[in-house]
Amino acid sequence: MFLLWKVVNDEGFLPLADVLCLPGRAEQECPCDPRGWSKSLTVSTALELRNVIRRFGTVVAVNDVSLNVSKGEFVTLLGPSGSGKTSTLRLVGGFENLDGGSILLNGQRIDHLPAYRRDTATIFQSGALFPHKTVAENVAYGLRMRNVPKDAIMKRISESLDIVRLKGFEARYPAQLSGGQKQRVALARSLAVRPAILLFDEPLSALDLSLRLQLRAEIKRLHDELKFTAIYVTHDQGEAMAMSSRVAVMNAGAIEQIDKPETVFHSPTSEFVYTFIGESCCLPVRVTSAGIEDKKGQAVGLRLGERLAEGECRIYVRPSRLRLISEAALLPNQLTARIHFIEFLGDLYRYHLKAGALELAADHAGSIGHGVGDEIEIGWRNEDMRVFR
Amino acid sequence: MTDAVRIDDASYETQRTAQERRKLLAPWILMLPALVIVLVFFGIPTVYMVRMSFNLHMDQRLYVPGFTFEHYVNLFSNPLFTNAILTTIKLALVASLATVVIGYAFALLVWLKPARWRLLFIGLALAPLLISEIAIIFGWWMFFPKNGLLSYGLLSAGLIHEKISLMYTEFAAFVGLVYVTLPYCFFILLSIFDGIDKRLLEASADLGASPLKTFREVMLPLTWTGILVAFSQSFIWTMGTYATPSALGPDTLWTMGFLIQEQMLGKHNWPMASALAVVLVIGVAAVMVVTRSMQSERTSFHA
Repeated sequence: MFLLWKVVNDEGFLPLADVLCLPGRAEQECPCDPRGWSKSLTVSTALELRNVIRRFGTVVAVNDVSLNVSKGEFVTLLGPSGSGKTSTLRLVGGFENLDGGSILLNGQRIDHLPAYRRDTATIFQSGALFPHKTVAENVAYGLRMRNVPKDAIMKRISESLDIVRLKGFEARYPAQLSGGQKQRVALARSLAVRPAILLFDEPLSALDLSLRLQLRAEIKRLHDELKFTAIYVTHDQGEAMAMSSRVAVMNAGAIEQIDKPETVFHSPTSEFVYTFIGESCCLPVRVTSAGIEDKKGQAVGLRLGERLAEGECRIYVRPSRLRLISEAALLPNQLTARIHFIEFLGDLYRYHLKAGALELAADHAGSIGHGVGDEIEIGWRNEDMRVFR
Repeated sequence: MTDAVRIDDASYETQRTAQERRKLLAPWILMLPALVIVLVFFGIPTVYMVRMSFNLHMDQRLYVPGFTFEHYVNLFSNPLFTNAILTTIKLALVASLATVVIGYAFALLVWLKPARWRLLFIGLALAPLLISEIAIIFGWWMFFPKNGLLSYGLLSAGLIHEKISLMYTEFAAFVGLVYVTLPYCFFILLSIFDGIDKRLLEASADLGASPLKTFREVMLPLTWTGILVAFSQSFIWTMGTYATPSALGPDTLWTMGFLIQEQMLGKHNWPMASALAVVLVIGVAAVMVVTRSMQSERTSFHA
C-alpha cells in the first residue's frame, strides 16, 4: 500500500527513517524551530529563486525565474491565468519538481526536499481544510506533525484563532463554517506552524467581493502586525496593489517587472505591464511626415506635445487620467473625438469616444453636458501617456 | 386584477390540505414499485424459508409440516455443519480483506492518476463484470492446473523446476472469490475517493506530514466508511456464493453454500437446507450491524 503511495506520488524513494519520521531524526532535521519564528537573523533573504525552470510537456510554465524575497516582505505574483505564477508558488511549496535552477530558503537549498520537509505553509484557494477534523484539530495538525508538546499546541491554537478572530469556533467542523471563515481557519492553520514563508495561492478568489475586500484588509493587518514573509499569488491587481511590499508581474512564465506597487503602476517598464495593471486605452496610430493618422490612413485630430518618430506605434492612456472639454484646453496632448455612448458608473460617468478608427474611454465625475454624437475635446499630460512600438 | 383570482378562505384551506397530503403521499408512491418487489420476491420467500426450517424431515419427503428444532440442534452439534460455518467465515473474511486491500490500492491509483488514464482503468475494472461467473470459473480451469497457464508461466520464468497444480486448492478458491468481488469493491471505493479534495493531500504534506502519516490522518478517516461498505458487500458475497469455491476449491472445502446445495439436491432435506440458510442470513446481518456500528457518526462531511 505504502509503496504504491510513493510510486503514484512520483517521488523518489526515501530512507525508511525519513518516511516514518522517527522522532530523533525528525527533530534534528526539521528545518523549523517549533518554539518560534525561524530566527536565523544573519541572512536577510528568506527565499531565493535562481533561474527556476518548470516544463509541462512542451510548455514552459516557469521560464528562468529569479526572485529574492527578504524577511518580512510580502511579494505578490500577479499575472493572467497561465502566466506561471501558481506553478512558481507550487515549486516553492514542493508540489512540483524543478526542471532547472534552484530554490533556497533561509540560505539553504530546499528544492530536493519533499513538501513535508520544507518549512513552508500554503493557504490554498479551496482552503483545503480537513473535513473530518474540527477547527482546533485543523490548526493543531501542523504542530502535531512537528512534535510540538501538547500544552504548547493548545496555547498556539488559541493564539492563532485569536489572530484570525475565530475564538469560540474550536469545536466546529469546516462544513459548519462560511467561505470566509474557512479561509481564516486555513490562515490560522498555516500561521500556527510559524513557517519561514507563507504561500498564498489565490486564497480569496473563491469568495464574493465584499468578503474579499474584508479579508484582504485582514491579511494586510496581520502582515503589519506579525511581519511574516509571504508570497501571494493572484490575478486581482487590486489585491496585489493593496497588500504587497513588491509586485512581480508575470507573463508567459517570466517576471516582466518587479517593483513597489506604486512604481509598477506609474512606471511600467513594458507594454504588457502597462496594459495588465489598471485600465488603459490603446490608440494604434501611424505617424507620417504629414501628421498622425489611424490604421485606415485617415488623419485624426490628435495633437501631441512631443513629436513622435515616424512609423506605426501604439499610444496608451488611462481613462481616469483623461480630461474633457474646458479642462482639456490647457493640456499639451489633445484629441477631438465624438461621444459614442455613455455609461453611468455611480461615482462617475464613462464616456466612450471615437475619433476615426480610434476608440477610447474617459472618466469624468459628473456629467459634462454633452450627449451622444457631440464632438468634444480630450486632453492629457505627457506623463499620463505611454508610447510603445 | 387581484380580484379575478381571489378565492375564498374555505377553498384556499381545502387546496392547502390537499397539497399537504400530496407531499406526505409522494415518497410512498415513489417507493411502491421497489417495496412490492422486495416484499413479494424477497420478504415472503424468506418467511417461507424460516417456516420450512422448522418442518419435519421424513423419508426424503419434501414438505412435512410440523415444528421441530431438530435441524438447528443438528446444525450446531454436528461437526460437519459447524466446520462448514467456520470454513465459510474464514474464507469470506480472508477473501474480503484481500479484496478491500487490493481494491483500495487500485482505486487510489486511479484517483491519483491524471484523468486521461481513468477510462482505461475503469474499463479494466468493468471487464470481469461482462463475463458470467461460470465462464470465469472455466477461465481459472485453464489457469491453475498442472498444464495450465500459471504453471507454464512460472516454469518458463525459471521460478519453479517442476510443473505445479494449484487447481482444487483453497488458494484457488480464494483467488476466484477475490476476482469476482473486486470490481464492486473498486467502484465503491472509487466513488468515495472522488468525493475527496486532492488538495488535502498537499495541505497535509505542506503542514509536515509524511505520506504515511497523511494516509493515517487524512485518507484513512475520510475513506473509512467506504472501506466498511466495500468490506461488507465483499463479505456478503463471499459468504453466500457457491459456484466459485466449490469449482476451484478442494473437495473437502465445504462451505455453507455448498452444504445448502447438497442438502437440497443431494439429500432432499429442505428443512435442513433452510436452517442453514437462516443461519447464513442471520450471520450476514450480524456482520452488517457490526460494520455499520464501526462507521463514524458523521458519515458525510458535506454540510
